[in-house]
Parts: sequence; C-alpha cells; structure tokens
Amino acid sequence: MSIIRPVTLNYHMHPGVCRAAATCHLCSKISEGWVAQGYVLSSHYTSISGQSGRIFPEVCQEGQAEEGRRVPRSFRSQGKPIELTPLPLLKDVPAQEQPELFLKKLQQCCTVFDFMDTLSDLKMKEYKRSTLNELVDYVTVSRGYLTEQAYPEVVKMVSYNIFRTLPPSDSNEFDPEEDEPTLEASWPHLQLVYEFFIRFLESQEFQPSIAKKYIDQKFVLQLLELFDSEDPRERDYLKTVLHRIYGKFLGLRAFIRKQINNIFLRFVYETEHFNGVAELLEILGSIINGFALPLKAEHKQFLVKVLIPLHTVRSLSLFHAQLAYCIVQFLEKDPALTEPVIRGLLKFWPKTCSQKEVMFLGELEEILDVIEPTQFVKIQEPLFKQISRCVSSPHFQVAERALYYWNNEYIMSLIEENSSVILPIMFASLYRISKEHWNPAIVALVYNVLKAFMEMNSTLFDELTATYKSDRQREKKKEKEREELWKKLEDLELKRGLRSDGIIPT
Amino acid sequence: MEAFKLMRELKTNFEQESIYLPREKGLDLLETTLENDKQISARCRDAKVEDLWSLTSFFGYSTQTFVQAVNLLDRFLAMMKIQPKHLSCIAISCLHIAAKLVEEECNISSSHDLIRISQCKFTISDLNRMEKIISEKLNFQCKAITAFTFLQLYHEMTILHTSERKTSLSLDKLEAQLKACLCRIVFSKAKPSVLALSLLAQEIEAIQSVDMLEISQCIQRHLKIADGELFYWRELVAKCMTDYSSPECSKPDNKKLVWILSRRTAQNLHSSYYSVPELPTIPEGGWDESGSEDSCEDMSCGEDSLSSGEDSLSSDTEAACAPPHFHQRISAPHSQGDSARLGAQCHF
Repeated sequence: MSIIRPVTLNYHMHPGVCRAAATCHLCSKISEGWVAQGYVLSSHYTSISGQSGRIFPEVCQEGQAEEGRRVPRSFRSQGKPIELTPLPLLKDVPAQEQPELFLKKLQQCCTVFDFMDTLSDLKMKEYKRSTLNELVDYVTVSRGYLTEQAYPEVVKMVSYNIFRTLPPSDSNEFDPEEDEPTLEASWPHLQLVYEFFIRFLESQEFQPSIAKKYIDQKFVLQLLELFDSEDPRERDYLKTVLHRIYGKFLGLRAFIRKQINNIFLRFVYETEHFNGVAELLEILGSIINGFALPLKAEHKQFLVKVLIPLHTVRSLSLFHAQLAYCIVQFLEKDPALTEPVIRGLLKFWPKTCSQKEVMFLGELEEILDVIEPTQFVKIQEPLFKQISRCVSSPHFQVAERALYYWNNEYIMSLIEENSSVILPIMFASLYRISKEHWNPAIVALVYNVLKAFMEMNSTLFDELTATYKSDRQREKKKEKEREELWKKLEDLELKRGLRSDGIIPT
Repeated sequence: MEAFKLMRELKTNFEQESIYLPREKGLDLLETTLENDKQISARCRDAKVEDLWSLTSFFGYSTQTFVQAVNLLDRFLAMMKIQPKHLSCIAISCLHIAAKLVEEECNISSSHDLIRISQCKFTISDLNRMEKIISEKLNFQCKAITAFTFLQLYHEMTILHTSERKTSLSLDKLEAQLKACLCRIVFSKAKPSVLALSLLAQEIEAIQSVDMLEISQCIQRHLKIADGELFYWRELVAKCMTDYSSPECSKPDNKKLVWILSRRTAQNLHSSYYSVPELPTIPEGGWDESGSEDSCEDMSCGEDSLSSGEDSLSSDTEAACAPPHFHQRISAPHSQGDSARLGAQCHF
C-alpha cells in the first residue's frame, strides 16, 4: 500500500535518489523512505490527511487502512475522494439504538478534511458539518446517551480533529498587535468539534472518573500546545476547554499548573513568542480567585518567579489586562505579598518603552486601590521615588498618568496620612516641572497636585519651598561663579596670547 | 548709620500705614455675612486668599507680591459690594497688579497662564478691565505699606542690634507665619505695624532670646503701641499658629480642581482592569488536588499506597498545610516525616 508522508523538502532531496526520515506524531517512531515529489514514501504510515500531516495510531500498524483516509490533492496526488456512507439522523432512530449510532457518527467524524483545497469533497464536508451539528445538539439535550464506550470514542474524535502541528507563522515580522492573524481554514468543522467537546465536558452525565482514563496528561499537553494557535477564536474555545478540564479533573491540576509555568518561563526567557498567554492568564485568574488561604508556597513562588517576570516581555500590551488582574487577585488573597510584588515591578520598571510605562502606572494604581495602609507604609519610599521620576518624564502621557494618581481618593488618603514622608520625595520634581515642562496641560495638572499638598501639610510645604529656593539660589550662585571663573581664564588666555604674539616663536 | 536709617524708615511707614488699611466697617460686614449667592462671606474670602497663596507659590512670586495682593483685595472688598461670581476675577486681578508692582518683568506670568492655571472661567479682557476698575477705585494707591514691610524692618533692626547668631531669627519663617495669618480675614483689621510686631514677639518668645525681647520692647515703645492692643493681637496670632503647625492635615478639597486629561490617557484609564473575565472561579480543593501522577516522580514509591479512588492523596503541600482529616486517612506508618519529605518538592 503506498504510503505518503508530507515533509518539507529542501533542495538536497532528489526524488528517487535521496532518502528522508519522518517522525510519527503519536508513536514517535522514525521511519525512512524514498523521496518522491514532495513527500516521503514510507511503509510506516498508511495515509495522511491535511496539509500538516496528522498521523493516527491505528495507522502505525503496517498495512492497515481504514475507511475514508485519503491523500491530499494539494500534493498533486491522485488521491481518491473520501466517501462516507450517510447515516440516519439520531432523532429518527428508536432510543435503544441511539448510543450505537452515536458511536458510529463519532467514528465518521474522525475523518479529517483538507480545507486548504477549497473545491474538494464539498459534499462530504457538508455531511460532516451537519453530523457534527447534530452531535452538538444531541449532547446538549439527551439523557442516558453517555455509555462507557462513548468516552474513548469522543476523545479520539476530538483528538483527531484538533491535534495537529500548527503552521508556522507567516513571517518573522508578524506583529501580534498590528497584523491580522492567520485564521484556521478548517474552522467550520473545528468550531463544532470544540463546541461539542465543551458540552460533553459540561454535560450532567459526564463522569470524570471514567473520563480520566482518556483525558490524561498527554492529552492536556497537546491541548496546551494548541494555545499557540494564531486564530483567536480557537484560543477562546481552548480557554473554555482547559478551564473545564481543570475544574473537573482534580488529579490533573498540579500537572496543568506546572505545564503552564513551563510555557510562561519558556516564553519569558527563551522565545518571547506564544500566542496564548492572555487566554492562559485568564484561566489562571479564575484559579487564583479560588485559592484557599493560607496560600501555598508553590503559588507564591509562581507569583514571584513567573508572573512578575512576565512584565518584562516586549509584547506586554497583548495580555496586560489579564496579567494585572492576576496580580491584583493575588494581593487580595494575601496582602503580605504586596511588598515583593511592588518591589518586583519597580525592579522591572520600563526604561525605554513609554507605552509600557503607562501600562505599569495603570497596574500600579490598581494595586494601590486595594493596598492595606500598613503595606503602603513599607513601600512608599521606593514607590514615590519612581513616581517622582515618572512625573518629570518628558513623555507627556507618562507624566499625565502619574499625576492623575492624585485624583484617586483612596490614594490621596494614603498620601495624606504619610505626607511627611512623601512630600519631600515628590516636591523637588513637582516644583521643577511646574517651571520647566514643555506641555502646558501637564503644568496645569502639577498645579492641582501642588495645591493638594499645600492644603495637606502647609508647614512642611513652606519649609520645603524655602529649602528649595535657597538651594536654587546657591546653585545659581555657583553657576555664576563658575562662569566668572571661565571668563577670567579666557581673559587670561587672551592676554597671554597677545603677549606671546610679540615673541619670536621658538 | 544703619540703625538710624532704619528708625527713620520705620517712623515714616508708621505714619502712613493707615492710608492703606481696609475700611473696618467693610470688613465687619464681610465677617457677619452669611454665605449665600448674593454676597461674599468671610469664608469665601479666606478660601480665595488661600488660592492666591497657591498661585503665588506656584508661579514663584515673592511673599511681598502675595501680601500686596491680599491688601488690594481686602481694600476693594471692604469698599464695594461684590457678587460671589466675580470674586475669582477680582482676586486674580489683584494678584496680577501686585506682581506687576513687585516682580521683575521677566518673572511675571502672562494673564493667559494665570487664568489657565487657576482654572477660572473669565477671559483676558475681563481681567484687564477688572484691573483697571480696581486701580481706579483704590485711587491708584496700589503699592501699600503692609505688615510685610514692617516685618522686614523689624527683622533687620533686630538682627542689627542683637549679639546672638543672625540665623536664629529666620525671616522666611516669619514670612510663612504672616502668610498663614493673612489667610484669615480677622487679621486684616489689625494695623500692619502691630501685626508684624505680634509675629515678631511670638517668634522671639519661641526662641527665648532675652536680647531680642528687649529690642522688640524697644520698638514697641518707640512706636507707642499700647500693651493691650499688642496683647490682643498676640493671642490671635498664637491661636493661628497652633492651627497652622498642627499635625492634623486638612483634607484637600479635590472637588474644586478640574483634572483635564488628554484623550488617549482618558481612554486607557480603566479599560484594562475592569474587563472582568467571564470564567467562573475554580475553588482550590486543598490537599486533594495537589498530587498527580506527575508528582510521583519526585516521591518514593511508598506513596502509591496513599492514593485511593479518584483523588490521589499524595500531597505536595508543606506538612503544615495538611488539614486534620488528611492525617486520619493515612494509615499509621505514614507519619509526618513523609509529608515533610513531600513538602520539599519544588516545581521550579
């Protein structure tokens, strides 16, 4: 039986002359074969489907074929079109026959079609789509359909459809913020598969104790890899799927958390590329929300070693909202974490990217909104030193965002209680920018802030004004002296020059 | 001689100071008026003077400018019946006139900046018109002899005659105290020479310098200021100073201030956090969900017997976290020691 496995060939590979090796996705066996026109002929695989090469376990046994497999036309093969024998509708058969028909339909849906070739198998694609639709409805409303045999078939069908190698990103310069994402071509089927799976998981008859034999660590691992999909709709479904799995399979929770950790750590420290960070963070948000107190050390480690460093990534804007949510949830659970969190943020404060600085300021305000006064006192000095720097930033958005803190009533009350510490830190930069900033709107905001300080603590304010003025005068005097010194030196040089002109050069 | 010159200057100023006093009846009227839409009350005036102080400080004007401005304001308010809606315009005009009198040309901020920063609603032409009106009403006697004038003189004289260190009597501090006093209308009724002397005496008492005390008494005798009068004002000043230096902060009235933000910043303000995620919370199970087949690789195989049913009981928590009923389910051989070993497992 001729067996074909698509492989990206480089110019070295000559058909009929070179041999190439390919790895089976599921059993990881490597088999070799002759290179043909764009693929490898090997006895290991019975057939493939789809552009990216999905290999199915049964297919690993040599010489076995199953109904409905085909070779994709896009590789210019002479593959036969897929033929699925139409099955009766579930509602049309008596109740006792439905479970078996259900299984048969599931098996039919294991056939995967090639959507890159828009003209092939249109009739069969439509048939599969309507079957999937039917299955979705069936799972939603039916009772007693979920036999033990159904579980492995469901998981198999879902695996066949969704687990695939994701195509590489179109170009290295794909900017997630600017460019349109490449959408998944087989979405008409894929969406229904996800929809079906979610309703299956959420079904009242669903029993995790049976399902856990099939939804295991390997399954979860493959699921997590799919989060890198460029298609946001797919990631949204994956988010729901993983959320349900995490909720129902207690035995998988630690594994899932560990794998997400690994993904994030790889993202931060190695690749800085992963499309699903926002979705994973959303799931984590709901997990953090449910943490039991006192918080376990594992979770605190996660906060410090993973979540805080996530702030350093360049593409922060894509997932900042979700990240900030996670951080604030942590702090609401355990306020004692405030100090390490804020110190962490200050350590990673952006120095060259103003857009990120504005995001950090936003996040900081959200943290301050929930901070406890005792915690505030611990970090107020380094915090306001940074805010003082932000306020004097020549980037007007950064300055504006920082100054707007003074419009937040809770923050104002905290500042008021500690004005004797905070005012001296802020005073110099505020006073200076009131005179020197280029942006008049900023100057107007500074007036508001200074006025607030004045009313808060007049004595201290007056003292600081006096010190500032005398410091400035001293500086001015020094400047003047320095200038006069230079002038004197210049005059001296001139005099010397005039004198030396009269002397014969040696 | 320096001292002689100072004395003469003092005498001249003393003789002329009554010209620049605001009409007492007018001030009384202000003090007794209740706050309403038609008339200005004392509290209105005080709040406005505080605003003037903020602006003075902000624009870097000297204390002299501020004192002059307050003097102009008080004189004007004492002789005219003003509607509250015009008060801002009048106050800013006074400040501008004072600035032009006192400050160097290059340091004076433009009318445009004044209006913008003080967040007032009137225009530059309104400001100019008001300045003319004020100047006219005050018979163009704008540069007044104020308590500040006297304060400077007293300070110089004291420093000149005292044997103590010059820095012990700080003019800056006296200025700040004067500013605090001027924010209350009651002190506008005092004669400037007396007010300044009260402040001086107050400060000298705080420093406890016998030398300077003698000098201040000398000044009092020279100007023939009655003891009773001085005592009266000193009490009021003392009370004002207690309020001024009290550690209690008055809550800033942010509502009066307008926070104008650029469009981009306003858009981004709360867009991030309040996108509440739709995923429902997953409560943590505690000890029953921490273990998994994966964590077995870090533990000895003896832990397998801990698993029962669908929830694996092998725990990666610290021993302290394990709730009491967990221990009940473990058979006796599995002691705390095992749990402690489990606790050492680290995911990082």
